Formats: sequence, structure tokens, C-alpha cells
Amino acid sequence: MATPALTVTDLVVTSREGRVLLAVPQLRVEPGQTLALRGASGAGKSTLLHVLSGLVRPVAGQVIWGDTDIAALSEDTRAQFRRETLGLIFQDSHLFEELSAIANAALAQAFSPRTARAGIRDQAQHWLENLGLGAAGARVVDSFSGGERQRIAVARAMATGPRVILADEPTAALDRPRADALGADLVRLAADQGCTLITVTHDEGLAARMARRITLADGRIVEDSHG
Amino acid sequence: MAELWLALSPLAQDVITLLALVAPGLMVGVWVLRALQPGALVGALLWRFFWMNLMFVCLITLSVGLGVGLLAQERGLRQGSARAAEKFDLIVAAPGSEVTAVLAAVYLQPSDLALITGAQYAEIAAAKGVAFAAPIAFGDSYQGAPVVGTTAAFVAHLAGALAEGRVFEAHEEAVVGAFVPVAIGDHIEPAHGMAEGAEAEGEGNGGEDHGGHEGFHYTVTGRMPPTGSPWDRAILVPVEAVWEVHGLSNGHAPGDDRIGPPFAADLMPGTPAVLVHASELAANYALKSQFTRGDLMAFFPGTVLAQLHGLMRDVRAAMSVMAVLTQVLVTVSVLIGLMILVRLIARSLALLRALGAPLRFVFAVVWSYSAALILTGAVLGLGAGWIAARVISAFVTAQTDVLVTAVLSWPEVHLVAGFVSLTLVLALVPAWLAVRRPLLTDLRA
Repeated sequence: MATPALTVTDLVVTSREGRVLLAVPQLRVEPGQTLALRGASGAGKSTLLHVLSGLVRPVAGQVIWGDTDIAALSEDTRAQFRRETLGLIFQDSHLFEELSAIANAALAQAFSPRTARAGIRDQAQHWLENLGLGAAGARVVDSFSGGERQRIAVARAMATGPRVILADEPTAALDRPRADALGADLVRLAADQGCTLITVTHDEGLAARMARRITLADGRIVEDSHG
Repeated sequence: MAELWLALSPLAQDVITLLALVAPGLMVGVWVLRALQPGALVGALLWRFFWMNLMFVCLITLSVGLGVGLLAQERGLRQGSARAAEKFDLIVAAPGSEVTAVLAAVYLQPSDLALITGAQYAEIAAAKGVAFAAPIAFGDSYQGAPVVGTTAAFVAHLAGALAEGRVFEAHEEAVVGAFVPVAIGDHIEPAHGMAEGAEAEGEGNGGEDHGGHEGFHYTVTGRMPPTGSPWDRAILVPVEAVWEVHGLSNGHAPGDDRIGPPFAADLMPGTPAVLVHASELAANYALKSQFTRGDLMAFFPGTVLAQLHGLMRDVRAAMSVMAVLTQVLVTVSVLIGLMILVRLIARSLALLRALGAPLRFVFAVVWSYSAALILTGAVLGLGAGWIAARVISAFVTAQTDVLVTAVLSWPEVHLVAGFVSLTLVLALVPAWLAVRRPLLTDLRA
């Protein structure tokens, strides 16, 4: 599958009370681009990431990946789109503590079509090795450090062969050396796979690794810089 | 349809009933789990809340075990009491309560029955179709064991070949039930009455005398095999000896030392009950009819028991309903607990949804979680019920001397199958609630 471009048009997200949380008239992200979403807490960057991943439905506007308007899909179809196209990484690695590293990395095989399951397992093993955790795949994850856990989460995101990686402050819980290492890994993986990488971050070091940086304030894009 | 059903063998009926009971739960399971593999995740979640899950399983186990144990026990008691009475074809006694007569003559419970006279006994013994008519004379005891006067024919009818020794052949000889704690050759002194504390008898084998029928001893000559009835703790002696020990004539002419029938009608003091064994099964009905009259009553103990069991049928039905209700209530409690537990695992479920798991998969995880608890509890409950039935059976057998063997049978399997099926369907509720939770809120929790 080719990496899709992202086109956002007239996007509006409101709270239950009707307060505008996000208003993005126009945004385009080219296939394979790396993008950092920055801004103060409450600026709307995580909301934007959730809209792009289909976890939040906008009250107005279009969020088109390639030719699929994710905002118009049903919940199950959006889930299928996430499963097949997106790789999600969270600030907290969100692992199943009772399972092994490989079982966590290959989590998607539990709810993927039967024909895809073996491939997901192989990919999970491949990405664990790629991220330096190949020998520890059988270990239960509650014995891993924060940095290792986050790398397992990255392997989980990559195991389904996503075309877009969406990361929500992936380095926030890590110390500087581990944050730098993870940032470098993310950019390298995205480049190797030709994936689009969009990450919300307060980490200037991570943002500096991205080809493009967007700053949000009060739900609006106030700065969009390249290079 | 009803005719077709009745034409099936009992086994076929039980199997079909089982399948019908299991079908709803099974169909729900197949529908929920089709093409999904939630096993590893369910296992992880079960492990995460191990102690809470263990508590849920214990609750289900206890409720299922209670229901299974009660049902098995009730049936065991019914079958045991019927088995204890099966050697007593027809009882003839003086008019009164048939139930009291059954309790006294079959189950050897202390009671005062009016006596059948020698003339009446002679008439019964001589009636057409009677193979033998055995007097059953009770009222004495030895160390709590009832001493019953009867005939050698009755001993043979009740127990068949003796397990040890021989049947009594003289007035002072006795045959004991399988569990009477005396040995062949022991001497026993009977006492008035049947309550253990009300008597004062000598010790076996040369013990000191304390009263009772002072100076009169029986020598144990034989032991019956177990019969599964109160007769296993009874001491059977020639009826003549019972009469003699009470200072009465012994049914035979003076100087005639033989034992057993025929008895001289005018020399027979009377007996509380007579067991009549007919030469042919059909003759029992004619004999019952013949001796059901103003001065005698004849009845089948089995019929009396059936009437008693019939009276208990409503109790049994109520007990079954209560057992099911208890189980359902416990399971509903567990399911409510699971709904609360769903809040604890909501973040994990939200993660699955965020990663692209279909709602059906999340639904299957929660349902499988509930199903694992229900099935584990039900299987353990079946085992617990079996153990409970065994323990209670042993207790009841010790208390009543009626051999109660409660074993698990189809009704218990049906009960558990129905319970599992119903609760697997009910388990759809927490699963449905779980997928309706707000994804993003749970993900951020």
C-alpha cells in the first residue's frame, strides 16, 4: 500500500459544551513527511492527533487520508483503517504488563484476519530485533525499563506495516539519552519504511529531528515551519 | 410430539435435554468468538486481577455446589429409603397409622404398635399364596441396637447368605447386622426399650450385669452382610426368646423347644407386625386385599414411601427452583462485579480499540473473561457438589443407618448446563456495556 497524503479541510472540533477545541481550515501533509505538532498544554495538538487517527470525530470538516475521509467512516471502519494504515504510539507505552514483549508487539494478531496473523508475529519479532530487543522477546514486560517499554510500543505500532505513524509525546516519560535514542529510532524507521510520521511533542530535541513543525495555540495553527 | 418424546429412551431424552440447555450458551459463544482469538488477552486480564477473579469463581463454585449437592442428596435419600424397604413386600399390622408401622417395622424406629393376636397370625400364615409370614417383634435393645424377634426364614429373606457364622437355631442365639459391634460367640444381654440411655445392660462376653432382662443372654452365632438398611445395626433373635424374656408363652406347647413356625394360635402372645412374603408377586395384591379389614391393616411399604415421596415432590421442586435462583443471584452479583471490573480494565480495552480492534473483538474479550469465570466456577461447583453429596450421604447414613449413596446424575448435569447457558447469555450485558464506554476518556484514564 502506498503512503497516503493527508488533507484536512475546514476541520472543527468542539467540546460537549460547544467550546471550539480545534479549528483547522487547511492542512496538507505529504506522504513520507515527518511532522512535529507543538504548543502549550491545551493548545489542541493531541486533539488534532486524535482526529487524524479517527479516535475523535470532528463536528465539521474532512480528514482525508489518500482518498479516505476518516471523519465520515463508521466506528468499526475507522478501527479497520487504524489497524491497516496507522501505527499509534502513546506517551505511556500502554502495554499489557502480564504479556511478553513479543506478545505485546504482536498484539494486533489477536484481532486481525487469520491470514495476516503470522505476518504480524514475524513483523513484531523483526521490529523488536531492529530496536535492540530481539533477545528479550519472551520476557514479561513489567521487567523492562521505560525506554525499553516504549521501544516495544514502537515495535507494536510497526508490526502491522503502517503507512503513517502517529505518536503522542513518545519521549515525554524518558530521560534525555533515552528520549534522543527513541527519537532517532522513530525518524529512522519512518524513513526506512517511507512512512509519514506525525508526533505531538514538547521535546524540542525530537521536534528538531522532524522535517516540519507546526505550532498550535487555542486550537489553531499559528506557525508552520519546514527544515 | 409428546408421543415421539416418550418413545425415546431415557438416555436419549437426557442427552437431548442437555443439548437443548447448552445450546443457547454455546450459540452465544460461537457467535461472539467466531474467527477471533482473545485467549491470550483474556488470560492476561484474568491474571492481572487474580484474587478478585478467584473470589468470583469461589462464589460461583459454592452456589453451584450447593444446588448440585442438595439435588443429589435429596435423590440419594429417596433412593436409599426405598432400597431399605424393598425386602418388605407386604406388612400386616393392627389398624393404625401405616407410616408409623413402616417406621417401626422397616426402619426400626421406636414406637408403640398394637399387637396382632396369635389367631390373626395363624390366619395370615395359612392364607393362600403366603410363602412365609414372619413375626417382627421389637421393643428390646442392646447398647442402642434394636433386638428384633423373628424367624430364620426372615433372616434369609432379608440378607441372603450370612457373611459370617450361621443363623440362630436355639432360643438363646442371635444373628447380628453387619455393623453391630459384637463378635461371633459374644454374649449379649437385652434390655427393655430402644433408647440407648434408657437401658442398662451387661457388657458383651462376660460383662457385668446392670439390670434389663437380668440373667438372659443371647450368644451371637452369625452376622448378616450389609443390607443398606437400619437392619445392619439390629440384632435378630428367635421371636420365641423375645416372648420368653418378657415372661410370656413362646408360641409352642410347654416342653417344645423348637423355634420358628408353626405357632400355636392360643399360645402365641402376639406380635406388632408380620412380614408377609408371597409365593408369587401377584398374590401380594390379593393378600393385601384379604387382610385390609376392620381388625387388621395390610399395606405395601413401598406404596407408603411413594406417598411420602409424593408429598415431598413440591418441596423438591421448590428446592430445585431455589437452587437455580441462588445460582443465578450469585452469578448476577458476579456479573455486576464484572461490570465494575470492566472499569478497571477500561484502559486496556480502550487501547485495543485505539489500535484498531473491532468492537466485536473487545466485546469478545469481556464476554470471554466472564465465560472463563462462569465455566471454571461451574465445573468446580460440580465437583464441590459431588464432594458435598458424599459427605452429607455419609453423615445421613451414620445417623439413620439407611445407606444413602448420593451420586451425580443427569438432573445435576442439567442444572449446571442450564445455569451455565443462562449466565453465558447474561454475560453479554457487561460485554455490551464495555464497548459503549467512551474510548478517549478511557484511554487517557
